[in-house]
Amino acid sequence: MHPLEESILHSRRHFLTSTASGVGALALSSMLEADGLLGTEAAAYNPMARKAPHFDARAKSCIFIFLAGAPSQIDLYDPKPKLVELHGQPLPESMSENVRFAFISAKTARLKGSPRKFTRHGQCGMELSDRIPHLATCADDIALVRSMHTEEFNHHPGQLMMNSGVGRFGRPSVGSWVTYGLGSESNELPGYVVLSAGVGSSGGTSNWTSGFLPSTYQGVAFRGQGDPILNLKSPPGVSRQRQREGLEVLSELNRNRLAQAGDEQIASRIASYELAFRMQMAAPELMDLSGEKHRTLEAYGIDRTEPENLRHRGYRSDAHGVFARNCLHARRLVERGVRFINLYHASWDHHDALDKDLKYNCSVVDQPIAALIKDLKERGLLDSTLVVCTGEFGRTPLADTHEPHGQKPGRDHHPFGFSLWMAGGGVPGGQVIGQTDELGWAPVVDPVHINDFHATLLHLFGLNHLKLTKRFGGLDLRLTDLGGKVVEKLLG
Amino acid sequence: MVLALKFPLIFSLIAGYTFLVSAHVFAEDVRGEGAVARREGREHWAFQSIAQPPTPLVRDRDWVRNPVDAFILARLEDESVGPSAEASRATLLRRVSLDLTGLPPGPAEVEAFLSNTRADAYEQLVDRLLASPHYGERWGRYWLDMARYADSDGFEQDRVRPYAWRWREWVIHALNADLPFDLFSVEQLAGDLLPGATIDQRVATGFHRNTLINREGGIDGEEDRVKRTVDRTNTLGEVWLGMTVGCTQCHDHKYDPLVQSDYYGLYAFFNNLEEPDIPAAPPEELAAYTMVKAAFDREHAPYLERISAYEKNKLPATIAAWEESLDDAVPTWVVLEPAKLVSRQGSTLTRQEDASVFVTGENDRSDIYTFVAETELSGITSFRLEVLPDERLPMDGPGLAPNGNFVLTSFRVIAEPAEPALAGSDSSALPRVFTLQHSHADFSQVNRPVAAAVGDDATSGWAIYPRVGMTHTALFETREEIAFEGGVRLHIELHHALHHDHNIGRFRISASTQRRPVRSDVVEILRLSEEERSEEQRAVVAEFYRTLDPELNALNAAAVEHARGAPKNPGEKNRAQAVEERSEPRRTQVHIRGDFLQKGEEVAPRAPTLFPPVVARAESADRLDLARWLFAPEHPLTARVLVNRLWQQYFGRGIVATDNDFGTQGDPPSHPELLDWLAARFREGGWSLKALHRLIVTSATYRQSSDARPELQERDPFNTWLARQNRLRVEAEVIRDLGLAVSGLLCYELGGPSVRPPQPAGVAELGFNGLVRWKPSTGADIYRRGVYTHFQRTVPYPMLMVFDAPNSNTSCTQRERSNTPLQALTLWNDPVFFDMARALGRRIAKATLESRDRQGQVAQRIFYAFRLCLGRDPDRAEVVSLSNFYASQRKQFEADEDSAGLVIGAPSGPDGETTAERAAWVMIARTLLNMDEFITRE
Repeated sequence: MHPLEESILHSRRHFLTSTASGVGALALSSMLEADGLLGTEAAAYNPMARKAPHFDARAKSCIFIFLAGAPSQIDLYDPKPKLVELHGQPLPESMSENVRFAFISAKTARLKGSPRKFTRHGQCGMELSDRIPHLATCADDIALVRSMHTEEFNHHPGQLMMNSGVGRFGRPSVGSWVTYGLGSESNELPGYVVLSAGVGSSGGTSNWTSGFLPSTYQGVAFRGQGDPILNLKSPPGVSRQRQREGLEVLSELNRNRLAQAGDEQIASRIASYELAFRMQMAAPELMDLSGEKHRTLEAYGIDRTEPENLRHRGYRSDAHGVFARNCLHARRLVERGVRFINLYHASWDHHDALDKDLKYNCSVVDQPIAALIKDLKERGLLDSTLVVCTGEFGRTPLADTHEPHGQKPGRDHHPFGFSLWMAGGGVPGGQVIGQTDELGWAPVVDPVHINDFHATLLHLFGLNHLKLTKRFGGLDLRLTDLGGKVVEKLLG
Repeated sequence: MVLALKFPLIFSLIAGYTFLVSAHVFAEDVRGEGAVARREGREHWAFQSIAQPPTPLVRDRDWVRNPVDAFILARLEDESVGPSAEASRATLLRRVSLDLTGLPPGPAEVEAFLSNTRADAYEQLVDRLLASPHYGERWGRYWLDMARYADSDGFEQDRVRPYAWRWREWVIHALNADLPFDLFSVEQLAGDLLPGATIDQRVATGFHRNTLINREGGIDGEEDRVKRTVDRTNTLGEVWLGMTVGCTQCHDHKYDPLVQSDYYGLYAFFNNLEEPDIPAAPPEELAAYTMVKAAFDREHAPYLERISAYEKNKLPATIAAWEESLDDAVPTWVVLEPAKLVSRQGSTLTRQEDASVFVTGENDRSDIYTFVAETELSGITSFRLEVLPDERLPMDGPGLAPNGNFVLTSFRVIAEPAEPALAGSDSSALPRVFTLQHSHADFSQVNRPVAAAVGDDATSGWAIYPRVGMTHTALFETREEIAFEGGVRLHIELHHALHHDHNIGRFRISASTQRRPVRSDVVEILRLSEEERSEEQRAVVAEFYRTLDPELNALNAAAVEHARGAPKNPGEKNRAQAVEERSEPRRTQVHIRGDFLQKGEEVAPRAPTLFPPVVARAESADRLDLARWLFAPEHPLTARVLVNRLWQQYFGRGIVATDNDFGTQGDPPSHPELLDWLAARFREGGWSLKALHRLIVTSATYRQSSDARPELQERDPFNTWLARQNRLRVEAEVIRDLGLAVSGLLCYELGGPSVRPPQPAGVAELGFNGLVRWKPSTGADIYRRGVYTHFQRTVPYPMLMVFDAPNSNTSCTQRERSNTPLQALTLWNDPVFFDMARALGRRIAKATLESRDRQGQVAQRIFYAFRLCLGRDPDRAEVVSLSNFYASQRKQFEADEDSAGLVIGAPSGPDGETTAERAAWVMIARTLLNMDEFITRE
C-alpha cells in the first residue's frame, strides 16, 4: 500500500472510534490523569499499539544478544576432539577446494584445535567450554544450535544478514519486523530498544534499521551516557510542570487546526506528543536501578570493574559494568512490555591472540547473560521471553596466521558452520540441535540457515514468516528473503 | 536471435483512454516459468510509447486554469463531485514557497503578496521562486535521495568522502540553470563520454560514485566491484525506468517481461568503470589560477629557455664525451639470490634456474611478495627489477592478469645488517626502509609510470600493457648507500594493491653499487656504433643521459627551485568523484543465480528486449548510447516516470502510486491520460523541469484547499480524484530549514562542502570501533540548510533520521512520512531546536509595535509570530490560547527568575522586556515550532 494511504488508513481507523467521544475530548483527557498513565484515545494513535499475531504465540518479548565480530564456536560451543588431534595439519584436500577466506589462504592454512576444556553440564549433559562457566549453569534452559550457516563472510554484510535476513543494506531488522507485526505492549517506551556496551559494531545503526518499514519500527538506541534516549530531557528552565503546560497549549492549538482541516494526522501528532511526554518519565525510571535488590545487582555483576590483568581487544574502562547493566535493563524493559531488545557487544573478531581475547570478552559477557536467564526464570518471565545469543558467523577451525597474526594465531571468519543458542520464549531447553563434521567445518546434521532461524523466531511470536510481508519496489518482501523453514526440532 | 520491438503501430481508443498497442515479435525465451506472464506483460500500458491525448471537455470550464485541470475535473465531473475552493492566499504563498524552495516566506513577503491585487500575482510569485537559487537546493535534495548521495563509504570504517559534495554542487547548479532533464541525465550517466567532455560534465558522473564501498580487510575487491555495478544497474532501473530490475540479477522476472540476460545487458554498460577522483576546481578558482599561472609562466620561461638552449647547443657534445668516458659501459649488476620468498596471499613463489622467481597460486587477491636476500655487496645504491615473460603465464606474462599485465604499486627496500653484532649501536642494527628515487623503466603504460611504484600510494603503480609477453626492466636508486659491515639482509617488497589479479608472474632482482647505473637497454644501444643506432635509439640514450648531466641537472634544479613559487593548481585539492571507461574492457557474462563467480553466457551491452533497442554510435553500444536511449522519442518510461515523481512531490502520491514500479504488478494510474499528457508535454517541451513545475503549481488543482471533505471520505478515501489538495508533513531537511529561517538563524549561503552541525555526544561513537569522528563546524556553518549536513552512512545525523530522511544506501524515490514520539522529543527538546526557540522568542519580543496598550502588544506579537512561522494571521481561539499561556508563563517566571534565566540562555535582550517576559516569549516560540501546522505544507 502507498505510504500516504497507509498513514491515512491507520489514523482513520482510530479517528472514527475516537470522534465518538468528541474531538474536543481527545488526548487531553488523558493528560489530566496522573503522569505515567496513557489515555486510551492516545493509545489508539500509537502505531506501536498491540496487534494480534497470526496464531498463538509462545513468546512475547525478545532479548537478542549480538556478539558482533563473531565469537569462536570452536572454543565455546562446539567441541572437536578430532581437530585437537589433527592440530597443525593442513586442511584435507577435499575441503580446501572452492573455499574463500577473508585473510588466510586455504593452501597454507593449518588446523587449529581448541586449547579449551569442554565438560558436560546440567541434566542434559550439554558440552560447553570452560570459558563460559556461568552460562554452563543454565545448560538445561538453553537450546544450542551447532549447525548454523550463512553466506556472508565479511562483518558488515554478515551482520546485516543476521539482522535482516539479507547481506545488503535496506532491509528491516528482526526487531523491526516483530514490532511491525505485533506492536508493543508498552505505552510509554519505544517498542524496540537497542543497548550497546564497549566499542561500536561494523554495522552501526544499520543493524537496527527499519529499512523500508516506517521509521516507527526502527530500533531506538538507548545511550550509554546522558539521556537514555536522545532529547529526552526538557531544555534548561523547563520543569515537568512547564513541559506539561506547554503540551497543553500545544494540543489546544493542534486541536483547533484539527477541527478546521479535519486531517487525522493532526490527531496522531497530538498523541505522539503525549507519548513523548510519558516517555520522558518512563525512560529515566527504567534506567534507575536504585530499586533493585543488592543480590540482583551482584548476580549481574553491575559493579564489576575491568580486571587489570585481562585488558585486551575490546577493552573499555567500563565494558564489564555497562554490559551487566544492559542485561539488567533488558529484563526491566521486558517487564515494561517492550517487545524487542538488542544487546550489542562488539569485540569478538579474534584473528589473533585468540586465547587472551576470548578470555577478556567472555569475562565481560558470561556472568551477566547467565544472571539474566536466571533472573527472568525466577520472575516467571523466561517462558514468554526469548533470549538469543549469536554473532554474525563463526570462526575457522584453521589458524589465522597471516601477517601480522603469525605470532599469536587466532581464527578467521567462517560462514559455513557456527553455533548460536536460544533460551526461553517457548523453546525447550537442554537440547542441542544439529551437528558439524568432525573438524567443525560445516553442518552434517540438521543444517540451519539464518533464514530458517528467522522463520523459527517469528514462529515463536505467532508470526508466519511467509505472511509477514511488506510491499516494496513492487515486491512483497519478508525477513526470510527467498528462504526460511521453521526448525521444528527447536520447538520441541 | 533477438528481433527488436516495433514501436507504435496501432492506435485504439478504449473507454476514453488511448492505448498504444504495439505489435511484438518474440523470439526469445518463450519457454519456462513466467514466460507466459512475461509475454502478456509486453502489452502492459506502461511499456507502450507515449502519445499526447487530447484535453478532455469539461462543463465547468471556468475552473480550468491549464490542461492539467481539465483531466482532473473530467474525472470529478464523472463522479459528480466539485473541486475544492482555492486555498487562502496566505496558504498558497506558504505552500508554493515550501514546495519550490523549501523555505517559508518572510513576513515582508507575506505582507507584499497579501496586498498584491494583480491578477497574475501568483504567477509572478511562482516565477520568482523558480528563479531563486534555493529552488536548486530544494529539488536537488530530492535528486540526492534518488542518487543515494552520502558523504561516506557506508561499510564498517565508513570512510569520509571529502569530494562527494562536488557532485551535489553540480546538481544544485544544473537544476537552477534548468538544464533540460535529458542533458541533466545524460551528463550524470555518461558525461565523461561526451565529445570534449568538460570538467563539469565529468563531475556530473559522480552520480555513479554514490554507491557504497566496502573496504573491510577481508573483502574481495572484485566482489565489491560487482556489487557496485549491480547497484548502478538497479539505480538506473529505479530512477529512470521506474522499475525494479534487480530481481532479474538472479533469475528471470516472475511477472514483468524481463529475463536475466536483459539484466546483464544493462549491467554490461556499467561494467567498465574506473573510479578516479579528478581535479575539478570550481570555475572561478580555476579562472583566477589560470591568470596567475600565465604570469608565472612568463617569469618561468627564461629558465626553460636556458635548459632548451643547453640541450640544443651543448648536450650532443656532452653525450659524446660521456660515452667516451664510459670505459666499460656495462654496469656491474649482481643478481640477488632469493633466500626466502613470502606471498601475503599464500601464492607459491619458486626460484627458477636463472635466480628469477616464478609465481603460482590462485591470483584472486592483491598480493605482496617479500623477497629476502643476503649479499656481501657494500654500498648498494641501485636495484634492478626485471619482469620476465614465461609461456606458463597468461599471454606469456610477465603479469598474472588475464592480459599478461600487472600493476606494481610499490617497490620497497628494507635492509638490515646480516651480522647485527658487527653493526654497532642498537638502532642502526634494526631493519629500516631505504627511500628510493630516480626510477627508470624501458617502458611504462600510459598513466602507469614506473615512478608511481616509488612510495606507498596504493592507488597508482607501474604497468606495461600492451607490451606484454616480453622482458621489461625497472631501475630504482636509493637515496642513501646501503652498507653494513658483514653484509646486508634485504627484504624487498613488491606490492600489487590496485587490482585483485594484477600480480607479477615472474621476476628477478639485482643490485649494484654504482650510482646512476646505465640501464640494460641503454647498454645494448651503447654497444652499437653511432651509425648503427636508429633515431629512436639515439633518443633513448639522450633521454637516459639527461638525468646524469651535471650542468643540465643544475639548470633543471634552478628551474625546479623557481617553480616552487608557482601558484598551486586548485585542482590538486579540489577534486571530484567521477567515472570513466576502462582502457581494457571487461567481458560481461551472466552471473548464474547472481553469483559473480559462476559465469554464464556472454552478454553484450543492450537494452532489455521489451524496449526499443539502444542505438550504438560505434560497433558496440556504450553508456552514452544508453543515456541517450532513455530519451528516444519512442521510449515508453522515462518521461512518464519523471512527471509522475514530480506530481507525487506536490500531491503526496503519484498518478501511479507505485512510483518505482511501473511494471505489471504496480498500481494502475489514477489519471492515465493526464500522465501521458504531462509526459508528452514534458518531452516535447524540451524536457524543461522548471516548465513542468510551473505547469503543476499554477494549476487550479494544485491551488485547492487541503481541508478534508468528509462527504468524500467513503467514496474516495485516499483522495485519488484530487477533489482537494493533501496536507503533507514536510521533509526532515525542510523542518530544520524552517526552524532556522523563522528564528532568523539560517545561513542562506549556497553550496560548498558538507557541514557538521553540533550533535549530542555519543552519537558518532556508535560507528565501527568508535572510528567515526564528528567535529562540529563553527560559525554560521552550524546554521546551514539541511541539504548541506554531512551524511555519515553508519551514524547519520539523528534529527534527519528521526524525520525519515533516507538511509542513502539504495535509491529512495519516495520518503516515508512517519509520525512518532521521537519526532516530538526532537522538536521539543533538541538543543538545536531550543536554540531556534530562543532566537525566535527574541525576535518576537523585539518586533516593532504600534499598540501601546499592554494587552494589545501581546496580541500584536502573537500576530507577528504567526506571520513569521505560519505565514498567516492567528484566529481568535489561537490568540486567546497563546495570550493566556503567555500571561501564565510570565507570571511563573516572575516568581522564578532562575528558570527564566535558564530559558533565555543568553543575557542580552531587547530593552524594555524583563527576563520573565523574554522567557515567556521563548515558551511561545517553542510552542509555535512544535505545531503540527508548522511542519506541514497545508
